Amino acid sequence: MSVWTWLKFTACLWLIRRAVRLAWWLLLAAAAVAAWPLTLVTAAGYTAAWLRGWPPVRLYRAAAWALPMTVAWLTALDASMPGWLAARTPGRAWAVGWDHLDAAGLARAFASLAPVAVPAGLALAGLVWAWRNYAITAGLGGITASAPITFDARQWKRQVRTAQGLTDAPGAVPLTGRGGSIPVGGTIRAIGRRWHPVFTLPHTACARHMVIVGATGSGKTNLMIRLWAGWFTAAARQARAGHGHRPLLIVLDCKGGRDARVKAERTRRLLYGAGARRVAIWPDEAQLSLWNLPPRELAVLLYQMIDTGTGAAAYYADVLQAVLTLAVMAPCGPPLSTAAFLDRLDAKWLQHAWAGGRHPGQAERARAAARHLPDIQLRYATLLDRLGPALDGLGALADADAWYCILEGTREPSVAEAQAMALTELAAHAATARDGEPRAMLLAADDYSAVSGRVPVSNLYERGRSLGIGVQVSAQSWQGLGATEDERYRIAATADGGLFVLSTPHPEPLAALAGTRRVLATTRKLIGASWGDEGTTRERRACVADPDIIRRLQVGQACYIHRGAATFVQVARPKPSPLTLLPPPSAPEPPAWVPGPRHEPAPAPWPAPAGLEDIFGPGATR
Amino acid sequence: MSTSPFAALGLPERPDLDDEQVRAAWRAIAAATHPDRPDGGDLARYTAASAAYAELRTGWGRSEAYADLAARAALDGEPDTAPLPAIPAEAHPPSGAPPWHPLAAAWQLPARIRRGRPRRLLLRAVIAAILSLAVLRLIPGTPAAPADITGLVTWFALTGRKDLAPRA
Repeated sequence: MSVWTWLKFTACLWLIRRAVRLAWWLLLAAAAVAAWPLTLVTAAGYTAAWLRGWPPVRLYRAAAWALPMTVAWLTALDASMPGWLAARTPGRAWAVGWDHLDAAGLARAFASLAPVAVPAGLALAGLVWAWRNYAITAGLGGITASAPITFDARQWKRQVRTAQGLTDAPGAVPLTGRGGSIPVGGTIRAIGRRWHPVFTLPHTACARHMVIVGATGSGKTNLMIRLWAGWFTAAARQARAGHGHRPLLIVLDCKGGRDARVKAERTRRLLYGAGARRVAIWPDEAQLSLWNLPPRELAVLLYQMIDTGTGAAAYYADVLQAVLTLAVMAPCGPPLSTAAFLDRLDAKWLQHAWAGGRHPGQAERARAAARHLPDIQLRYATLLDRLGPALDGLGALADADAWYCILEGTREPSVAEAQAMALTELAAHAATARDGEPRAMLLAADDYSAVSGRVPVSNLYERGRSLGIGVQVSAQSWQGLGATEDERYRIAATADGGLFVLSTPHPEPLAALAGTRRVLATTRKLIGASWGDEGTTRERRACVADPDIIRRLQVGQACYIHRGAATFVQVARPKPSPLTLLPPPSAPEPPAWVPGPRHEPAPAPWPAPAGLEDIFGPGATR
Repeated sequence: MSTSPFAALGLPERPDLDDEQVRAAWRAIAAATHPDRPDGGDLARYTAASAAYAELRTGWGRSEAYADLAARAALDGEPDTAPLPAIPAEAHPPSGAPPWHPLAAAWQLPARIRRGRPRRLLLRAVIAAILSLAVLRLIPGTPAAPADITGLVTWFALTGRKDLAPRA
């Protein structure tokens, strides 16, 4: 073959290819013009999806919702023209439309064909939009090689705008949804999960274990308050329907300060709107009693609240534990107040309490520990004094629907740690108490890392799991979740209620838990200084939750990671329904309950001094 | 939190204030009321301004404070957040919102419209009504007319529900 022949052959091939392509486009254009009502709806649907960042499924659902008009049309047709004659009507309407190419005629034709054109056009728009997304992400579409990047960035912005618009609508994201779900906010993007305009969680997710990580100012508080209120409302509704226990929400705000009071107020207002009868703010307005714990748990807790050290100090720790056991588990019963407990850390009291000959071992231990008791009493007096009166009151967790506990973890970390231990123990007791009403419990710890020095988060988790309490832990960063990498992974990987990641500087370990997905990557051949139309496509793995997107999340945006799927969501600010806060119908005021004073059990009366009276007293054997 | 932190700093109640505006307002009040001033200053005002500045100095804090104010305004007054008296365990009624009931839902509808976005809802209703009238005028008596109106009613119901206030 000569060069000239080869050139002619190549030119012919090129011309044929172009001609086929042109013919295809002309055919498509002719079809589009011929079926203009369908084209109009398709174009409108496609443009709306492009401008609003909708996924194709949004258009498919719109098409499904347009089907009632088709059904209505078919019904009306059948009523007016029974039989298959009715099927010719759309064709006639279309044909008549061409005879009247003025505005009124076109409008008339469109209105006549709308029952078919609208659902079909929307479905077609969904297909075209799905193809466009596929083509761009796979590298088949777009003029420049950077088209996938530009397309994705633009679509993200539009998706955010749409989600924000949805969260601004008053009725789009209520506190609870159908079937006890918790609406969180508008969905920005869903990967590996079905897309819904409003992202919802089943309320049972909160009853398991959940981790929330986000830097200060990322919108963590809003998200947590929404989840609490949603969980409370859903659980209360279930209880009312007889499908569960009454909810009890315990929030540990571990940073404290002024912000915590503002958050507590907001939470309380919202929970009242959600139907709560009593929301207690501890320690500002309500008190709890540490001394309600069962004696054994009380003794262990009091021991753990004091720093004991290791090595040579272990000896002292053993003495301390022995003394606490003697003081708390005395035969006369456990102490009922701080003052009563401190009174017991006295050699005379202990020896007398265990005297009588029935507990010789304990009596001996009380005698042996006598010289340490003043030190131990001093340490506990200092600790309990620093803890304040809030754990020495008369209240119990079961008295309220929700407790907002403020721990000054920033100002007084050691006190806050001891308080956190006590409150966790009280929650555990409330969950296992057999004498009270069983409650569905959620223990939420906000910025728990501020007080996790003595009780690590993993411990809190495992405790909650064993007791059937939902535990929700928030931290400002991955490092805030635990002291070691192993502990952090243990906490994050076992969060079966899911992980919420808000804007945080190091999201990689959390994003890695979502896993990877298969995507197509297309490379383009570079010809000179420009990209040619040849290249290769190969499959590769990409993160389900892109850490770079997470790092750039704006205030109020979160990524929910659960079971290998990631959903980016614009969290809606929690607001109670204004209808709930309307003046309630007048109801008789429930009688205020005033707990009666508690009396410290006293040991048996002091024995009378041994003397001749005992030997020769009345009734004695002579 | 009965007074507005914006008022304490003499700022308009707007969420779009920037850090510098808040800081400037705080510095002006602090300079005029600091207790170390020769005239003794105004401790109460200085304290209130300090607290307000702590609340408003970040964008997030401002948006929170603004949202709190807006929520209060929407409630026509201060919500009662005073702690309720403790109730004995045996007297606890089941808490939570009442279950959904069609009659109650119908009864609540006017309030939901009023406390939602009534203007936007009205606009949607007007669009649906105009298009329905147009359909009736263009193709009266044809089977497509009721179908088109069904489509418009479906559109109105689906898009308008988010403009209603949430159910109680």
